[in-house]
Amino acid sequence: MQERWSWSVGLLAALGLLLAPSCADTSRSSGDAAADAGTDLGEAPDLVDPRTVALDPPPVPMMARLTRAQYAASVHDVLGADLVVPTALEPDVSDGGFVAIGTSGASVSPRGAEQYETAARSLAAQALTPERRARLVPCQPAATRDDACARAALTPLGRRLWRRPLSETELAPLIAVAGSAAETLGDFHAGLEYAVAALLQSPWFLFRVERGEPDPDAPGLRRRTAFELASRLSFLLWQTTPDDALLDAAASGALDTPEGLALATDRLLGDPRVRDGLRAFFTDYLDLDALDELRKEPTIFVHASPQLGPSAREETLSTLEHLVVDLDADWREAFTSRTTFLDRTLAAVYDVPAPAREGFAETRLPPDGPRMGLLGQVAFLALQSHPTSSSATLRGKFIRERLLCEEVPTPPVNANTGLPEASPESPTLRERAAVHLSDPDCAGCHTYMDPIGLSLEQFDGIGRFRTKEHGALIDASGELDGATFPDAAGLAQALTEHPAFSRCFVLSLYQYALGRFEAPGDEAVIHSLAAWFDHEGRRVLPLLRELVLTPAFRRIAAVEPAPEASP
Amino acid sequence: MSLSRRTLLKGMLGGAAVTVGLPAFERFMNAHGTAWADGLGFPTRFGLFYWGNGVLPSRWVPQDTGADWTLSDQLAPLAPVKDVVTVVTGMRLPNENLVPHFSGAAGLLTGIDLILDQGDGQFAGPTFDQLVAKAVGADTRFRSLEFGAQPEGGLSHSAKGLKNPAESSPHALFERVFGVGFAAPGTDAPPDPTVGLRRSVLDVVLDQARALRRELGQADALRLDQHTESLRELELRLAKAAEGPPDLAACALPAEPLADYPDIDARPQLEAQNRAFAELLAMVLACDQTRVFSNWFTAPVNNLLFPGATSGHHQLTHDEAGDQPQVHAITVQCVQAFVELVTVLRETPEGDGTLLDHMALLGTSEVALGRNHTVDEMPVLVAGSANGRLRTGIHHREPAGDNVHKVTLSLMRAAGVPAASFGEGDAYTADGLSAIET
Repeated sequence: MQERWSWSVGLLAALGLLLAPSCADTSRSSGDAAADAGTDLGEAPDLVDPRTVALDPPPVPMMARLTRAQYAASVHDVLGADLVVPTALEPDVSDGGFVAIGTSGASVSPRGAEQYETAARSLAAQALTPERRARLVPCQPAATRDDACARAALTPLGRRLWRRPLSETELAPLIAVAGSAAETLGDFHAGLEYAVAALLQSPWFLFRVERGEPDPDAPGLRRRTAFELASRLSFLLWQTTPDDALLDAAASGALDTPEGLALATDRLLGDPRVRDGLRAFFTDYLDLDALDELRKEPTIFVHASPQLGPSAREETLSTLEHLVVDLDADWREAFTSRTTFLDRTLAAVYDVPAPAREGFAETRLPPDGPRMGLLGQVAFLALQSHPTSSSATLRGKFIRERLLCEEVPTPPVNANTGLPEASPESPTLRERAAVHLSDPDCAGCHTYMDPIGLSLEQFDGIGRFRTKEHGALIDASGELDGATFPDAAGLAQALTEHPAFSRCFVLSLYQYALGRFEAPGDEAVIHSLAAWFDHEGRRVLPLLRELVLTPAFRRIAAVEPAPEASP
Repeated sequence: MSLSRRTLLKGMLGGAAVTVGLPAFERFMNAHGTAWADGLGFPTRFGLFYWGNGVLPSRWVPQDTGADWTLSDQLAPLAPVKDVVTVVTGMRLPNENLVPHFSGAAGLLTGIDLILDQGDGQFAGPTFDQLVAKAVGADTRFRSLEFGAQPEGGLSHSAKGLKNPAESSPHALFERVFGVGFAAPGTDAPPDPTVGLRRSVLDVVLDQARALRRELGQADALRLDQHTESLRELELRLAKAAEGPPDLAACALPAEPLADYPDIDARPQLEAQNRAFAELLAMVLACDQTRVFSNWFTAPVNNLLFPGATSGHHQLTHDEAGDQPQVHAITVQCVQAFVELVTVLRETPEGDGTLLDHMALLGTSEVALGRNHTVDEMPVLVAGSANGRLRTGIHHREPAGDNVHKVTLSLMRAAGVPAASFGEGDAYTADGLSAIET
């Protein structure tokens, strides 16, 4: 479960200047750009106003299928927070480490269409129960079939669910379905359920479609329409469908001016729902959904329990939410802060006093201990481990790939990736993993991963602190691209001082926000945002604001229409 | 096969409260009890049983060949079904093998090399279960069904990048097939007015999709086409459900599976889930709800803790020293799960034979030796004679090695697919494996 099917094949080649050199790729060449990577690593990019940088060439937009979380949030927002949203929905698809990217390649399988139909019928029925229907139906039906009343209900509902106004051509069949169903069933509201179910099963709801329009300010170029922009803003910042105010701003043309867009963005960023948006980003970025499937051998890890994964997830999300929203802190503090949020399950793992009450409480970890920041949290330490042991390689790989945006290729298929078992001569992982570094076939990549991961060895496979393994003292010293340190706290410090660290974060956020891998045309935009981020104190919400206000955020290429479908 | 149907059903239903009485469905069998009431014979079903991380070839390959072969260490669980299973060895996977496990899975299941362009690798085309489903799946309520004990473990694809997620909950599969919309044999379901309304909703949605498609580029249009196809299938399914119960003697409403299979000591209950799936599947097939299935027991690179193992499966394949006794024990558990499926199918009567007689079932994994990801001695188990088209009960070995896709092609053809070939490039074959064909 920890070894996901995920690797980056030259995808960062175009951004070579952002990257540190990676280990030799013997199986697949990443191209010349990657070979040159790192030549300018030490130099900070020039400070250029991101709002003057063009996205050139712009990419062709891809429809994003709603994730399960976005589906549920949209339904709750539009139909009512008290509805029970079925969980059996098409599973999220990840690509290159991001569901936000995978969802731009996803479709709907036969089982998925069935699940969406079942969910739509259930939700429509719930939404139109006698005690709830007044929220959606602004009129008293004059008869069993009342097309005017159906229209009055479906028009605003359609706009919220499809994130744009419906045309008359689109509304008429929905009103007709509601009417004929009402006649068949002898009940106006029962009939309306079928039209609501149609809205919820539509590709216009399930997919966030972007087609764009000619940009009046840039002849020959296209941009996202105001409604498409509103949708992208809302899902990025709130993880849900746009509210009426944002749709109104799109309809009025307010989003088409820089001032209007800034105003709308600031409203979203200042709303408590931005916490939902950030949680969604961090869940995707740090793969926190995998914690729901965390399995640890209970005879080895006596503090492991089915509750551990969910608790660890909440710890990480609470910590980051607090850091970003409440403190507006420098992103580096996510790795160096000793403030965290623990419940009793985690307090036992961390061996600190448990909160007095049920649930999570803000906790200060010992100021001189090795545990600090995300690298000291169970979410990272337990996920990047095996079910029965820690793994210096998995931990090092995560830091290289996810936190420094470097490419670590999978081992060649015929590599012997096994480690010897512990013995009196090799009691700790450091001795056992030495084969990785002595065998030249392995060393090429493992020298990039293991010396990082070995400095985290004082945390076992679920993240509990230890000083010994098999009776021998653990040497937690490590090295990261020339910086050496005695333990995990030193690693965290060195990581935040690594030249690729904050730029990698900007790149990751950019990928997430745009829902795609970066292309050559993005390079200048990302450079400018990275320089801006460094210059402005590395605060996440301002970075998000700057990102969505760059013209690049709105630019897309024209779509070449596909040939007709075969019958 | 000595079980009476009454014994069998009692056993299969596990003593749970079921309300199906035998006489209710006896009457659907034809006068001789040999075929469907309409006299057309029994359809050939196609199935895949898949487990991840391979085998230990040195303890897998039997010493002798032919009908009188001796079970190897790893194949020991086959003892009770040896006469209905054929083991094929010496088969290699000719596809590119660059990425551990995933190259193997993509090559094995699609016949085409894994695509490595950007991001995670992609299957380049449909997996063979979907090629079969496309050819023979139109007559049944479900074109195909995908399920398996490990959550999110399925790899069935309809086309490039288009995965069919597998159902990992037996109860969810039960609800899907035998819940609303299923008419049990012998029951006269009253006409449901909502079915027609649901179909009219789907018509509206399909019109919306049609309008949207005109505005999409090629890549998005293909994704929408898949969605449209899924909606059309759903519409057909509603129409089929309205046609009334299938006219099959062996069909009965199965017992409702447990709602949940919680981990025991951080170990998923793979075996119990697999048994529940097998028992469910028997009735799914007997009731002709689908003719094509894929059962994803475990996934490539799975690092699940198996009962008795001291590390995750994948980690053990690489780290366990010597002749890997734990990996061996896990492989045996995977073979045992295959045998469990075969046994249930074999004990489910259909006409004067059993379901297994009317089936081509392939059991396999993405690599041979997990430790170093070899693909030159792929594990291949074939069960069922596919209505007399496949030879069962033998060990066939290709001493010089041969393309594993030949087996796939033989099974696809036995299931009624008029396939001219399978595989691309070095993996191409236009020939089946004649040694396993009759």
